[in-house]
Amino acid sequence: MAAFTSYVSSAGQPSYSFPQQQSAPSHASRAPIQHSFYPYTDNGGSTLGISGDNFTIIAGDTRSTSGYNINTRYEPKLFRIGGEGSEHKGSKIVLSVVGFAADGHALKERLDTVVKMYRYQHGKEMSVNACAQRLSHILYNKRFFPYYVQAILGGVDEEGRGALYSYDPVGSYEREFCRAAGAGASLIMPFLDNQVNLKNQYEPAAPQGLEKPQLVPQPLQRAATEELVRDAFTSAVERHIEVGDGLQMMIITKDGIEEVFSPLKMD
Amino acid sequence: MPGFDFSNHNRNLALHAKGVPLPKATSTGTTIVGCLYDGGVVIAADTRATSGPIVADKNCEKLHYISPQIWCAGAGTAADTEFTTALISSNLELHALSTGRKPRVVTVMTMLKQHLFRYQGHIGAYLVVAGCDPTGAHLFTVHAHGSTDKLPYVTMGSGSLAAMSVFETQWKRDMTREAAVALCADAIQAGIFNDLGSGSNVDVCVITPEKTQLMRNFITPNVREKKKRDYKFQRGTTAWLDERVVKREEIRKYVSVEEVPVEGSGAPVVGERMEVDQ
Amino acid sequence: MNTLVARYSQPAAHTHAYNADEDSQQLIQDAAPQLSLNFALPPIASTAQWLRAMTDDHSNPNVPIKIAHGTTTLAFRFKGGIIVATDSRATAGNWIASQTVKKVIEINSALLGTMAGGAADCQYWLAYLGMQCRLHELRHKRRISVAAASKILANLVYSYKGMGLSMGTMCAGVTPTEGPALYYIDSDGTRLAGNLFCVGSGQTFAYGVLDAEYKYDMEEDEALELGRRSILAATHRDAYSGGFVNLYHVKEEGWVKHGFNDVNPQFWRYKLEKGEFSNVNAKLDETSGKV
Repeated sequence: MAAFTSYVSSAGQPSYSFPQQQSAPSHASRAPIQHSFYPYTDNGGSTLGISGDNFTIIAGDTRSTSGYNINTRYEPKLFRIGGEGSEHKGSKIVLSVVGFAADGHALKERLDTVVKMYRYQHGKEMSVNACAQRLSHILYNKRFFPYYVQAILGGVDEEGRGALYSYDPVGSYEREFCRAAGAGASLIMPFLDNQVNLKNQYEPAAPQGLEKPQLVPQPLQRAATEELVRDAFTSAVERHIEVGDGLQMMIITKDGIEEVFSPLKMD
Repeated sequence: MPGFDFSNHNRNLALHAKGVPLPKATSTGTTIVGCLYDGGVVIAADTRATSGPIVADKNCEKLHYISPQIWCAGAGTAADTEFTTALISSNLELHALSTGRKPRVVTVMTMLKQHLFRYQGHIGAYLVVAGCDPTGAHLFTVHAHGSTDKLPYVTMGSGSLAAMSVFETQWKRDMTREAAVALCADAIQAGIFNDLGSGSNVDVCVITPEKTQLMRNFITPNVREKKKRDYKFQRGTTAWLDERVVKREEIRKYVSVEEVPVEGSGAPVVGERMEVDQ
Repeated sequence: MNTLVARYSQPAAHTHAYNADEDSQQLIQDAAPQLSLNFALPPIASTAQWLRAMTDDHSNPNVPIKIAHGTTTLAFRFKGGIIVATDSRATAGNWIASQTVKKVIEINSALLGTMAGGAADCQYWLAYLGMQCRLHELRHKRRISVAAASKILANLVYSYKGMGLSMGTMCAGVTPTEGPALYYIDSDGTRLAGNLFCVGSGQTFAYGVLDAEYKYDMEEDEALELGRRSILAATHRDAYSGGFVNLYHVKEEGWVKHGFNDVNPQFWRYKLEKGEFSNVNAKLDETSGKV
């Protein structure tokens, strides 16, 4: 069909009204050309984590995209770490990864083996803070060939409190109360700042002025947090084309991991 | 001469060559379809407008009026489809007036392709033209570079492959009006659910020699769900530094209000209500 | 051929290039060294150039991987020890990745490091430095000097020169031999001893305040105040700095933390109570006059 034939000017470049610097000659020299090495794809999707008094919730949508296509409507971005067998029995740590799904899988496999090896060698479970630091080192080990991922790690710490760690692609990490990552991060994070950390909210009863106290974040209840997570995702789905299909939520408590799945809009 | 102003063209090319990103225009992702049937023609469109990966408008209108019996579905750059169809609509009206005949679909198609070819694809309008005129019901596609097709069923936009798969499996010769509308709506839904550039609702327009029926939001398969929690802030939650109350009387000094009576009736004009989600 | 040449002409720290066998072996040995110096490399000739194309958001805002960056940090020596202060913002391109980063890294009870540049680079290598400092203590039965500690870091980053590390850090500490000592180290390999340093995208703004008010003979509270005020000035004018002021005082007995305080209320306190920051209007009438 004629419409799909593209037309390019004779030189194959836009023309300018003033002289241009000659770009690298394409046919003149016969020197070998190295094609640009681009090993990454963005598979879209979004994840988020919130930690409470005695639990941590990690959630992610289950859509996997490339460009305007949907690869699948169900590819989990949440992984149980260090459990036994294919069911990951006894696991109390969850890793979520967004970005390039293949790197995400490689990272999860690595961390899973490390946590298992730790148990075999030391005869005890790895603590979340130890696991968090180890994950940072795994990421940094590929400092010069990074994993194209944004990771969030969740669990319950040695004092029984919810623990949540977020990472940049090369392993800089921090313990936080809430974090959104991936395609919808810029839509979800401001909402979380306001609703979880109560940013820009002040004591309503206090008079205006310098002394008006900021609202202090209170430990969240589990039911309320689950609702908050669902609301964050239904909003992200409305305005971001790469987020949708299903919401997978994992709630980590001292007793283990509970998994909840609920549908999201599919358009 | 009226028309486009190209004075910044070379500057922008040079800037872009240096790595400055071009401004983002709204919407390239869309699904639009058209289908001829026994007694007329149907066109349909989704209602999502995007800016990169962000949904800019969840319920935009992609079916454009050309003349009472000729309508256009537009994909590509939102502004280009809107202005091109509006321009052709105006010229067509003048043409109809000077010839004293009902406008024909081929005329619209020809005017569109000549206009678009002149601009060598820089006007990013991809259109499905459909309508009924004294010579019968017609359906065309017009691409941004100026090429056209005349077919019994057509699809365009980023969701065109998803939509065409529906046509290629279910289209039959000599369908009824109901069957044609249902088929077009199904094709659009295939785009809505399988193409990320398309989404939200289905708009349908049925044109017969007698009349045109625009069915806005014919199907709404993507209604926003209710939020689980209440996000109302208590009064006094927001801190401020200074306050000044401006009374209505004070504002009146800076605003001049002009009452414009509607011709015929004495009542003031009421603006069209903006569409909002429930 | 190019790949072969590249493999054997890399810095000393990188004689082990990426290799599938080694990679799978490492999975088994993973439990062994926590901080290995054996980094995975992409299977191409010019790794540093490739890394820059993938991660340098300064030269190309559309890179696929945006690495978190740190921003305004300062440290200065005065008669009562050393003041170390930082902001807490991390940015990835235009995105504020975090407002609560701890940019002062506690290497041990008497040594502090600050982070500017790549957040991961600083975190990882200062942790590595902490390990080396502890090993030095165990081997030599005494604390490492600040000079030696800073040199370990400087030599380390120098061995990676050109590979794409990005860090500007300060080492501050007190030892019986040196007294209060302050060093600046960056990923180019620079290592400088000095009385006063500001590092990061907001450094100029911090220097503006610090240089104007700095005296070696300050009292402790005066010095703490100057550190805080300098960071505040930087967060006010530099979009890539902000969040909280992280303040430390290094004394003979070791370092003391002086809070991690939100910038916003502090700013308004300086403005409304002390009349500083007069460039900002807090009253509606001053600007608009009408309406």
